[in-house]
Amino acid sequence: MKRILYLLPLVFLLSCDMEKEIEVVLPPHEPQLVVECYLENGYTFEATVLESSSYFDPPTAPAIPSTEVYIMYRDKRVQLNYNPGYNNRTNRYYTHKSSTRMNAKPGETYRIEVIGTKDRVVTGFTTILPKVPISELEWKFNDKDKALLLTTFQDDPDMTNYYRYMTHVGSMKKNARRDFVTDDNLTNGKVTTYGSAYDYEVGDTLILSLFNIEKQYYDFLRSVSDARNANGNPFSQPTKIKSSVQGGIGIFTNLVYDRKTVIIKEDN
Amino acid sequence: MPLTRYLLFICFILLSSAGFAQRYTVSGIVRSATDSQPLIGATVAVPELKTGASTDTRGFYTLSLPAGSYQLQVTYIGYQPYSQTITVNSSAQTIAIALQPTENKLQEVIVETNSLEQKLNDNRMSVEQLSSREAKLLPALFGEVDLIKTLQLKPGVQSGGEGSSGLYVRGGGPDQNLVLLDDAVIYNPSHLFGFFSVFNPDAIRNVELYKGGFPAQFGGRLSSVLDVRMNRGNNEKIGVNGGIGLISSRLTIDGPIKKDKATFLISGRRTYVDTFTRLINKVNKDKKDYSPIPDYYFYDFNARLDYKPTPYDEISLSGYFGRDFFTFNDAGFSFSFNWGNTMGALNWRHTFNPRLFVNTSLSATGYEYNINNKIDVFSFNLRSDVQDVTLKTDFEWRPAEKHTIKFGAAGIKHGFTVGRLNFDSDDDLQNFSAGNTYQATEFGAYLSDDFQLNAQLSLNYGLRFSGFNSQGKTYTALEPRAAARYSLSTNTSLKASYASMMQYIHLVANSGASLPTDIWFPSTPRVKPQRSQQLALGVSHLFGDGKYLITNELYYKWMHRQIDFRDGANVFVNDSLENEFLFGKGESYGNEIYLEKIKGRTTGWLGYTLSWTYRQFDEINDGRRFPTRYDRRHDISLVLLHKLNKRLHLTGAFVYGTGNAFSLPVARFPLQDVQGKEPGIVPIYSDRNSFRLQASHRLDLGAVWKLKPKRGEADLTFSAYNAYNRRNPYFVYFEQMRDDEDQTIGFRAKQVSLFPVIPSVTYNFKF
Repeated sequence: MKRILYLLPLVFLLSCDMEKEIEVVLPPHEPQLVVECYLENGYTFEATVLESSSYFDPPTAPAIPSTEVYIMYRDKRVQLNYNPGYNNRTNRYYTHKSSTRMNAKPGETYRIEVIGTKDRVVTGFTTILPKVPISELEWKFNDKDKALLLTTFQDDPDMTNYYRYMTHVGSMKKNARRDFVTDDNLTNGKVTTYGSAYDYEVGDTLILSLFNIEKQYYDFLRSVSDARNANGNPFSQPTKIKSSVQGGIGIFTNLVYDRKTVIIKEDN
Repeated sequence: MPLTRYLLFICFILLSSAGFAQRYTVSGIVRSATDSQPLIGATVAVPELKTGASTDTRGFYTLSLPAGSYQLQVTYIGYQPYSQTITVNSSAQTIAIALQPTENKLQEVIVETNSLEQKLNDNRMSVEQLSSREAKLLPALFGEVDLIKTLQLKPGVQSGGEGSSGLYVRGGGPDQNLVLLDDAVIYNPSHLFGFFSVFNPDAIRNVELYKGGFPAQFGGRLSSVLDVRMNRGNNEKIGVNGGIGLISSRLTIDGPIKKDKATFLISGRRTYVDTFTRLINKVNKDKKDYSPIPDYYFYDFNARLDYKPTPYDEISLSGYFGRDFFTFNDAGFSFSFNWGNTMGALNWRHTFNPRLFVNTSLSATGYEYNINNKIDVFSFNLRSDVQDVTLKTDFEWRPAEKHTIKFGAAGIKHGFTVGRLNFDSDDDLQNFSAGNTYQATEFGAYLSDDFQLNAQLSLNYGLRFSGFNSQGKTYTALEPRAAARYSLSTNTSLKASYASMMQYIHLVANSGASLPTDIWFPSTPRVKPQRSQQLALGVSHLFGDGKYLITNELYYKWMHRQIDFRDGANVFVNDSLENEFLFGKGESYGNEIYLEKIKGRTTGWLGYTLSWTYRQFDEINDGRRFPTRYDRRHDISLVLLHKLNKRLHLTGAFVYGTGNAFSLPVARFPLQDVQGKEPGIVPIYSDRNSFRLQASHRLDLGAVWKLKPKRGEADLTFSAYNAYNRRNPYFVYFEQMRDDEDQTIGFRAKQVSLFPVIPSVTYNFKF
């Protein structure tokens, strides 16, 4: 009997490789235009237009030079030329660009039109939002000399707000240490503080960004997050992407944010 | 059919069968002589008159006999037959019967309490029965005997996934099961995120699962009724039994308070994995970058008091309390999550005379979860609960030999707390709260008749009137129920049933699993009650000298106003939760074949289910119907129990099921986001549940080795779950493959399995 009992843990250990690669046959996929375009006051118009791919296609998205992109505002229609490149300020690649700089006021509406091959047309619009300023930054240490950071701002009581909050450590070139979206459903009109865990140390340079975002961008980001989480989570329901554009997939919005940089010191 | 016409129809049926010869009632309770537990489904027969009855859930039988002298015979599997001469004269009489167990209890492996003949002749159909005794013989995951998982081996009953104790009955969801423990509702019958049920097998006597053909006294859920009965205390002596297992231990004490008057039973169990994880955390606490393992454990307690103040009154007080705890503490950060059920039920059964009984119960039940999170000066608390107080009374009246009339009423006061959030900071500068509370009232009244028309044909027909009031809106409904049995021969019966069911409260669960954070929500002016109708046809045939019973049942179920949620619905903290609901419809149909053998050295059953289950919502899947995750085309269960010798039982269970339906992304697109850098991959999903996991199958083996302790009884129970180490799929995901420079070079599909072969051993004792 004892020998049998000794064998049991061995059998268990031998059998613990619980993942394996399998073959999945996917149905054919008709590629759709994918648009990613963020407008920022004071900067030129840039857009990335690619195509969606079947999941097991090669990773590189195919370029589609014949696509035309237009930004329309007031009574203007500005064409963004196909001129792929990399923007060092935003860290983003783009496929289309114009030299026109944006000079918008809150409340103005900008539109996008993307004309692709096979009669594909993608349209969308964005309404310029006001900036929500960060009113206070504060940090506190625990007994292990780690600091948490508190970021405070005043929510506008007269409108429903959606926020994206990001914390970068050291440089905007690195991935954000914290990144979340939320609404003011529970905090409408209140002085609101976003806290962090005890993640920081003396000498850390923190770059805080508080974006005041549109609902359509909020919905898009949440659906992207849900769709990603559903892949690999047996408890999740699959989610369809809530694009802010029609006729394709993607996001067309304006970025309005307050950004502050602080260096964590022993004295707050 | 309008209510008045229906009642007139019942009266007509009753009147048409009046005018019998003068008969007298003989009734009583059949109990086990060793511990006085009532024996459910024992056969009490009078061979001379070719008549008989079987005992009900309280061991009670009643016969209506003409004057004369007869031989009364009582049989029950595992007990010695009993015979007594009785003289029926001018008055009703009560005859209590105590059966002695067969000398060697291991002579036969008993897999069900009811005989196959009784099942053949039972008016009811679509009912599965199970005793703790049976479940304890079968192999179990981690050696944890689980009545619900054993029920999953019956045709028409599926689990949500491997290892899950969720019940999916004939295409219904886990929220559509009415789970009753001694007549009180248990809202969340699972521990450990659905891997174990809350029913401690030492505290439970037996379980009945109604898959269809619901009797009129049951209402409130669409798809099944799980009627769980607790053990009574031993009337003869104080007894102790328990077990020490791989992940938990259990202990039960029962006995008489006053012989033949009052008994008690107390039972508890607790897991102890947390003891080891705490030890590991303590050893490693000084290691840099060590992340402590969260604490997890659950416990539950059952208690029952039985009191018999007069020969005509039986009073019982039952209670259940169970909690799961999940906690995590690190520097400046603490997280705790606990959830569980609390239940108390007072039952009073009064016998007016051998033809009229009433059972009245007052119960309170609740389920709640609490999440507490504290990060330095900030604290966050989220809780939801459902609390019920129920008063119900059920009458059983046997006005004539061929009729058993049941009628009664129930009222339930519901209270719901939905997503109550509190957020605070120590300096009070930050605080907000959210969440809603709802009050609702549910009621039901019913009348049914079990009518033995002649030797071949018997009918059961009834009507339930139910209603629900919440936020000023009242819903009412008539729920007709009917069942018929026709004996083609002494060995073959045809059965049919129809049941209409209403469900007024709904589970807000936006995931594919039963999670403790799933919350109950009442019908409101915007959220209408769910409704189902089920039609079932069956045939049962007894063969092989009465050793085998084969049953085939065909069913079709329509489900109206089914509930799902919008994509990305926020079901946690949302004061406008109703806006996240979607309403649709469903259908389920299939065929179940069940072959069983309950006598002899080798016993067991073979079940095969062929079924289809769909849902349809305008806002999901572009309005096209889709299969549910638990839509299972083929489902096979083979369970065998063999008594090798006096000390050793061998058991095995083989299951095969079509893979669960699930969703996979069919395409993807790149997204740089405002962060830029390398674009991330965003999956694009198409039709819901359009893929299938590979089929699941496994073999579980078990053995029960009787020991010879100096005192009492003891055994070692061995289990090998998934004996041939099959990698059954739990889910599939797509993975990004990267090269040495972290560049994406392709994509592949990976399948994840949950349980390899899991051996376990449990030591059980009783004295």
